[in-house]
Amino acid sequence: MGRPRSFDETEAIVAAAGLFAGRAYDGVSVDDLVAHLGVHRNSLYKVFGSKRGLYLAALRWHLAQRVRPLADRLRAAADPARVLRDLLAGDGAGDLDLLLLATVERAPQDPEVAREVADALRDLDEAVDLALGGTAGRGGAPSPLAQAFTATILGARLRTRTGAATASGAVLFDRMRQPEH
Amino acid sequence: MAQVSISGDTLVVEIEGLNKLWALKSRLEIPLRNVRGATVDPGIGREPKGIRAPGAHVPGIITAGTFHVDGERIFWDVRDPAKAVVIELRDERYARLVVQVTDPRATTDLVERAIARPRTE
Repeated sequence: MGRPRSFDETEAIVAAAGLFAGRAYDGVSVDDLVAHLGVHRNSLYKVFGSKRGLYLAALRWHLAQRVRPLADRLRAAADPARVLRDLLAGDGAGDLDLLLLATVERAPQDPEVAREVADALRDLDEAVDLALGGTAGRGGAPSPLAQAFTATILGARLRTRTGAATASGAVLFDRMRQPEH
Repeated sequence: MAQVSISGDTLVVEIEGLNKLWALKSRLEIPLRNVRGATVDPGIGREPKGIRAPGAHVPGIITAGTFHVDGERIFWDVRDPAKAVVIELRDERYARLVVQVTDPRATTDLVERAIARPRTE
């Protein structure tokens, strides 16, 4: 019944991920979504069920297409320490924005978001741990140091979003790698 | 105005006051498994409503009753779009309900929490 869907679902999800990465969940109205996604209101409800349904689809797309590749890059790198340092310096960290907002804003309120976020952070922790020479992903749990670096990558990105470029993550990395006296 | 509540595994929507007359319905009961989500959507008041049958539609004043748009049947009970909530359904007589509630955010949270909880299926 009804008109065929006249829009590309993935395109709509990608556009929604962009909107949700830039603004708080409550700051994105259905009017905003209808205007930016090029989707009729009725189709939006029919396909995604609700704004939350669309948000979850956007978050999952973001985690699979932006965050996961970042972790994979770390895993596959010939010089993983260098890639990790670049990440800490903010290189590619813009791909973490929706994860960042979801962690701060939606995860404490929405158990399904909390689960997605926890899985993504764990994946990053494991990749960072491997880059540090650890054994996560091969049966071992990510080390506290790996978790601290993941937290630093996200925290540095948070500060960068305020407009100030920061090299804090890279400085920390270099300090950690200095031989002990 | 509608009163939305959860009773066991059922979403209950009760239409209050004179709107019962216009909407020609006073109570809707929907199994939670047929509820896909709820959204605060004040902007929906500006959408074309489609063809009314049956119910009352005085543009700008009241939208109540059953409306048909794009082959879907939609139930409306809204006077003040600022307080409109959209409840999307599956396998029901209505594709969605657009109702006015006292506290749209509280209603949305109530419905979303009720359908998000793990069910054994």
